[in-house]
Amino acid sequence: MKVYVSGLYCGGNPQPGVGIVRSLRQAFPNATLVGVEYSNRVSGIHWDDLDDLWIQRPWDELDLESYGERVRQALDEGGLWISGSDLEAMWLADLFPNGHRNLLAPPLAALKRITKPTVEAASGLPVKIPPYISTEHSDWDLHAFCREHNWRVWLKGPYYDAARTPTWDSFAAARNALTKVWSTERLFLQSHVSGYEESVMLAAYKGELLGAVSMRKREITPEGKTWAGDISEVPEEFMAPLRRMVKELAWTGGGELEMVRDASNQLWLLEMNPRFPAWVHGATIAGHNLPALLVQGATGAMPKPSVAHGQEFTRVVLEVPVRGDYPLPPLPEPFAGAIGHSMKHPSGLTSLAKKLHKANPDLLEVVVEEDGPDGLPAIPDSFVADIDSYDFARVQTPQFLFMDQTASGLFKRAADRAHRLSTNEVQVVSGYSIKTNPDERLIKLALDNGFYAECISLLEVQKALEVGFRPDQVILNGPAKWWPEGLMPKERMHAFFCDSIADLERTLTAMEAGEMSSRHVGIRIRTPNVVSRFGIPLDSPGTFRKLVEAVKRLPADTAFGVHFHMASDRIGVSQWWHLFESMLKWCRSIEKLTGRTIEVLDMGGGWFPDDWHSDDESKFAKAVGTVKAMLPGVRQIVSEPGKAMAQPSMALAMRILEIQEHEDDSIEAVVDASIAELPMYFFYPHRMLRKCSETGELQPIGRGKTNLMGRLCMEHDIVAANVQLPEGSKAGDLLIFCDAGGYDRSMSYVFGRG
Amino acid sequence: MYLAAAELRLDLLEREDSLPLASERWQHFPYSCFSHHEAACCEVAREWIIANDFAQLNGGDLKTGPRWLRQKYEWGPSSWPMHWCDVVERDVIDCGAHAALAHEAFAARGVTAFRAQFVQKYSADATVQWRKKWGDEEVSDHWLTDDAIYHEGNALLVGDDEVKLWDASAGWWINARQAGGGYGSLVAVRIFADGQWGGGDGFRWGDHRIKPNQWHQL
Ligand SMILES: [Zn+2]
Repeated sequence: MKVYVSGLYCGGNPQPGVGIVRSLRQAFPNATLVGVEYSNRVSGIHWDDLDDLWIQRPWDELDLESYGERVRQALDEGGLWISGSDLEAMWLADLFPNGHRNLLAPPLAALKRITKPTVEAASGLPVKIPPYISTEHSDWDLHAFCREHNWRVWLKGPYYDAARTPTWDSFAAARNALTKVWSTERLFLQSHVSGYEESVMLAAYKGELLGAVSMRKREITPEGKTWAGDISEVPEEFMAPLRRMVKELAWTGGGELEMVRDASNQLWLLEMNPRFPAWVHGATIAGHNLPALLVQGATGAMPKPSVAHGQEFTRVVLEVPVRGDYPLPPLPEPFAGAIGHSMKHPSGLTSLAKKLHKANPDLLEVVVEEDGPDGLPAIPDSFVADIDSYDFARVQTPQFLFMDQTASGLFKRAADRAHRLSTNEVQVVSGYSIKTNPDERLIKLALDNGFYAECISLLEVQKALEVGFRPDQVILNGPAKWWPEGLMPKERMHAFFCDSIADLERTLTAMEAGEMSSRHVGIRIRTPNVVSRFGIPLDSPGTFRKLVEAVKRLPADTAFGVHFHMASDRIGVSQWWHLFESMLKWCRSIEKLTGRTIEVLDMGGGWFPDDWHSDDESKFAKAVGTVKAMLPGVRQIVSEPGKAMAQPSMALAMRILEIQEHEDDSIEAVVDASIAELPMYFFYPHRMLRKCSETGELQPIGRGKTNLMGRLCMEHDIVAANVQLPEGSKAGDLLIFCDAGGYDRSMSYVFGRG
Repeated sequence: MYLAAAELRLDLLEREDSLPLASERWQHFPYSCFSHHEAACCEVAREWIIANDFAQLNGGDLKTGPRWLRQKYEWGPSSWPMHWCDVVERDVIDCGAHAALAHEAFAARGVTAFRAQFVQKYSADATVQWRKKWGDEEVSDHWLTDDAIYHEGNALLVGDDEVKLWDASAGWWINARQAGGGYGSLVAVRIFADGQWGGGDGFRWGDHRIKPNQWHQL
């Protein structure tokens, strides 16, 4: 008996080849085991159990057609083939679409049904699939997915590779890198599942399940790979549907289902691999020799009985002698002036991915969606109306455009919602955070719609008063409330939130001296586990005790309040609601310990407009109900939507100055705007439009190979990367970046204008 | 309620090795409880533990073990009795204090948890080290024998009658595989719970059925 085994890589993320070989040797001492590899740098080729080696040139050099013929010959001559590499298994499936009696790998039709992330074939198993989205959706939608899943997301490649992308700029960088490596734009974002990892390994021949075993990871490497594990039988409630699945797929060969078990005992399927896992020999040690079962199933040869040496296994590092006929190749020199040897995977697997993709683009596509997304963001009607109201012949670019109808609509919507959520006992109001955009038109809209003015400095207070707010409609918070000196209103303000205990002491002193007056005096709290420089920390029993003592000193005739602020778009939507609940628990403790009733609750902010203005009002209604239940003394809830009001209310118009086409198909278009007008470019995507110079039509801009370079002579002045300008775009064309009315506008700076 | 007096309840026999089961030494030994000054000092401390536990959950599952407690408080010798206002200020607390804090956290989250006592097997080398460390701090080493130790933790209900065992001072769930003997293994467990669990058969943990309020040998 001759068995070819591939996938002998033994680095930190090892392939299963050596484990398969060890298991086969144990079961069939006289079999001829041939190691197949595509690089002499792969250390597994030196494993002593291998009788022979078949070393090929790396995949990037290999002529697949002639190599395919030689593999066919080897199989025809009676050799069995067990693949230890996903990509090689795909190539073999492509080469033998209907299988080969000696090829112990799954058929093409089966592979198509286990593609990530849906793993459609596994729908009968007691597992769930973590939520995901294809990166073919617009950046606007991808950002929404990340917010929805609290930025605990992974960007995954079609075959291997996954990158944690906790921020928008890290996502953009990882997307560029993965796209390049795997030469496909078809990646997907998937929500993280927290829990313990476990796997089921199986062996099957022509749809008959020969054996399966369960493994829980007990030690993991820094990359999250198995270092030790325990083995157990697969429970019948998993085994029965697994048997059906294997039959439906007509599966042949090894396989692995990689899963996570969460704290509520739910299993989440991450992926199914078309080969044995690297820990395959760990199961053999525990008496489950699946490679032997596979060979037995295919040939009828009787293996030596398996002996269980225990139900747990672990790994050690072993030095083995290098074979004389395969001396070690030299180590490449570090690039001049660089750190490290910068080595790629030695067998050139990414080249195989490229070749497979080129030869057969549909071979294994991830996330096949009916009516696939066009990658273009939806543009609200009010945006179009607002933009169309401008006579661009008279607009000197770059220029911020006030989106009149959009802004009025948003403020009215917020006011209506606050009204609907209010009851006789608890009034819900909105606060407009002046700092998000101090444009007088927006402040006026806030005033007209019954908002309070949320200020962080006395200059902002002055501005609010100038626009028409009364002092008793002003809420002051932040660490710079007393700046600049001499501008503190003498009239009674609505609420005054202290940022530290020292701030609270100072406020009490100032009130006693008649230097200021506020109907509510409160504290801003910083709940633990949140990175923030604002508010009074609660992260130690000592700080909490000091806070309790300080609040007790508040004069009895001053109403007490609590302010809580955390950017929801940064931490994610459900995480924000968790913090909200956490904050209420702190409030309840503070009430209990100080004997003071919280009368006003001010909660912000940093909401991404779509999350705030979502039609689903149930979360907000539920929140009001929770406040009532937990803090029955609260009379007013001030909700501060932050940039949710300002961000959509302005757009930035710019013109193309020049378009340069490069040899590699990439395009650089220089525009007259810059990151000085779009300082938030790295933090969230903007919906972009081109105004067609012929028809005047507004055309949404999707992803492509064009970089929009700003006018500044600064290396990082790229206002948009990897976009697709509509056909016919040329110098002089007008581009409009929507969603630029928040911090883009308020933090924009004067630069490069002479 | 951990009383210094509790140690008097140890069934100290003439020769310890004549005990057929290691757990018999702790037959009448109560699990550890904090004292309360019945004043603001202790109440602030208790509220802080509860509110902070929820904050540390980070939106995760309510049945996640409160690992942050082990992160904040090292495991080591502590003198008893211990008051709430005292425990939160310490850097090092023993397993009884860890289990008591974890229990408070679980209860405040609204999940069902029980106090649990463990007997674990280690080695004479390990117990000699611990005896020295506890002795240096002038803290009782009643929890050590030759190679077995008394330990405290929690049992969290995860199904109708299934429990997971939380080792609060290690910050992990005890794996049922660790009940098979050997270094660090669980030899016996006692779960304090009222009621008829598992139709009278007790809690399910791995392949075991554990009747409440009595030492169960594994
Ligand atoms: Zn006290």
